[in-house]
Amino acid sequence: MASIARKNLLEDIPRFIVAQAGIMFAVSLVTIQVGILDGFGRSTVRLIEQSDADIWVGAKEMLHLDVTLPIPLERLIQARKVTGVKHAEALMSRQAVWLDSSDRIVPVRVWGFNPSGRLFGNGMVSKGSLETLKEPYSFITDRSNLATLNLKQVGDIGKIVPFRAKLTGLSEDTQSMASSTSLFASLENANAFGGGNNSSLNCTIDGGQVECLNPSQSFNGSKAQTAASSPRRLNLADPISYVLVEVEPGQDLAKLKQQLEAALPGTRAHTKEEIADITRAYWQQRTGVGFILGLGATVGVVVGMVVVSQILYSSVSDHIKEFGTLKAMGASDWVIYGVITEQALWMAILGYIPSMAFCFALGAWTVAAKGIVILITPATAIAVFGVTVVMCVGSALFAIQKVTHVDPAIVFKA
Amino acid sequence: MTASQINITEFIKSSERSVSTARESSVAHLGALERVRTKAVVAKGVEMTFQSGVESSLVLQGVDLEIPYGEIQLLMGPSGSGKTTFLSILAGILTPTAGTVHLLGQEITQMSKDELSKFRLKNIGFIFQGFNLFPALTAAENVEVALRMKGIKGSAAKREAQDLLYQVGLSNRVNYLPRDLSGGQKQRVAIARALAGNPRLIMADEPTASLDSHSGHTVIELLRDLAKESNRTVLIVTHDPRLIDVADRVTYLEDGILKN
Ligand SMILES: Nc1ncnc2c1ncn2[C@@H]1O[C@H](COP(=O)(O)OP(=O)(O)OP(=O)(O)O)[C@@H](O)[C@H]1O
Ligand SMILES: [Mg+2]
Repeated sequence: MASIARKNLLEDIPRFIVAQAGIMFAVSLVTIQVGILDGFGRSTVRLIEQSDADIWVGAKEMLHLDVTLPIPLERLIQARKVTGVKHAEALMSRQAVWLDSSDRIVPVRVWGFNPSGRLFGNGMVSKGSLETLKEPYSFITDRSNLATLNLKQVGDIGKIVPFRAKLTGLSEDTQSMASSTSLFASLENANAFGGGNNSSLNCTIDGGQVECLNPSQSFNGSKAQTAASSPRRLNLADPISYVLVEVEPGQDLAKLKQQLEAALPGTRAHTKEEIADITRAYWQQRTGVGFILGLGATVGVVVGMVVVSQILYSSVSDHIKEFGTLKAMGASDWVIYGVITEQALWMAILGYIPSMAFCFALGAWTVAAKGIVILITPATAIAVFGVTVVMCVGSALFAIQKVTHVDPAIVFKA
Repeated sequence: MTASQINITEFIKSSERSVSTARESSVAHLGALERVRTKAVVAKGVEMTFQSGVESSLVLQGVDLEIPYGEIQLLMGPSGSGKTTFLSILAGILTPTAGTVHLLGQEITQMSKDELSKFRLKNIGFIFQGFNLFPALTAAENVEVALRMKGIKGSAAKREAQDLLYQVGLSNRVNYLPRDLSGGQKQRVAIARALAGNPRLIMADEPTASLDSHSGHTVIELLRDLAKESNRTVLIVTHDPRLIDVADRVTYLEDGILKN
């Protein structure tokens, strides 16, 4: 069946290409902005999502995952006594400074957890294993952080000031785009890296830098690492950040949260979803990132509308006599709106498909090259398609307006 | 004779007069109705004034025209005399400032815009000097568009389009785009399109003006055949004297007035 809309669309190929380029620009811009926002939001809660804890108990002052006050390790013991708690583990977050082999410093956040536990870190390691974190002064980090830390491979050594520290594994998809470079270590190592181990250290000032090593600790020599070289064990007063709780099956989460808060002074309990929402919302809304990316997406839609209406208008103007002929022959206005709308829909579809392909390809590249996730969820893909259709059909209104006012008498003008 | 008697006689006389005028006018009315029924086209007192800014120009000054069913009517006259304007009014594309037009027994000057569109779609086929084909569509597709608008869809429309193109002698040009056809071939596609849905009226404005004499001749023969074979009424506005031979009647329009 002959489609006037499709034929008119393809009649002038250069114009068609310009139109599609405009639509692709708009669609890609919108998709990338939304995708970055989603990817950004997702990255800020990856640590929460990958954890198997049902409830996160933190200081009652907690602002979001990364910003909270310490609570004593004692809370872990208290939590284990609450009925309904099947299992509980400690999670510690400490600020530290990384010093690379060329003396550049990088602020880092060290997450301390129990490598033999079951609530944190399982499944996030892509190279090496969590077991290696039991070695003194070892850590793993996200693959995408290698360049930042000026490390090349597992086994490389740098300094978490003032300690020499060894990279024993790599994790995948664990770095929040909002926070400083994350390192993962055992509770004891993290405590040491965070400055909680100083009493048993042998520190020297070497070339203006503090270097702390236990006498027997050596990464250069082949001497076995003895218990004495290890960071000290934690005591009940040592600060941690969260108690991760796995609940007994069939527990009422809301009630258990209350019981935990009652049993653990100065704390607030959040379900996994709650702490994820708080954290994601903080980064997306309170920081203005959402606004800025939303602005970019709006610009995309506006540019797209301008391009599409311009192209449709000029296409309709070129064919105005044909539309006049249709009207003279007795076509109702709706037939003509139908033709223009169909043309707009084709432009939307033919602009959307390559744009999405482009965005997925771009997303794959940014993850590989920069560790930046452009998250295109099915919901985003559908919503962007909706926006594209609305954009194109909305732009058709200008053209429709022109045809509505065409005088069918023009058909007799030679 | 008293004043009252005079009054009474006067009254009787005047009543007789008024009765007879009424009778005359109703006879005239019946005559008009009769004409409307028996003529394909009846235009009465058609006036057209174009208003552009403060200037207004009276293009048609009360034109009457009747075309019997099945005849070819030629409308000739100098440039600017209002031929196209009159044709547009007869086709219901322009609304006259005064006067009435009946087509196939229906008063189109009373119809709404939508009713007019439907009437044109069903009953009138158009042929234009500039062909007005869709350049992006092939010959067959151009005809199909008209067929589809008239409710003939799918493979039936395809078959019908082939058939109409065969009738105008273009069965070997079915899939040609207009730019690959000669002027005469384009006009024949336009004629095939005008025949889509088998309308009873064909209205053509200068159908041969853009054609050389040979293609003009083919188109003229085609117009004559399609009128005579299926008892269509054809109104042709033209400057082309060759068309006089095929016409049943010729009317001249000059300065907004018809002359036979
Ligand atoms: N839309 C309009 N507005 C104002 N004036 C108009 C309009 N259309 C036609 N006219 C005027 O009406 C007159 C008759 O025009 P029309 O096109 O009917 O002439 P025509 O007899 O068909 O001429 P031609 O043989 O050159 O085609 C002309 O003077 C023209 O300028
Ligand atoms: Mg004319």
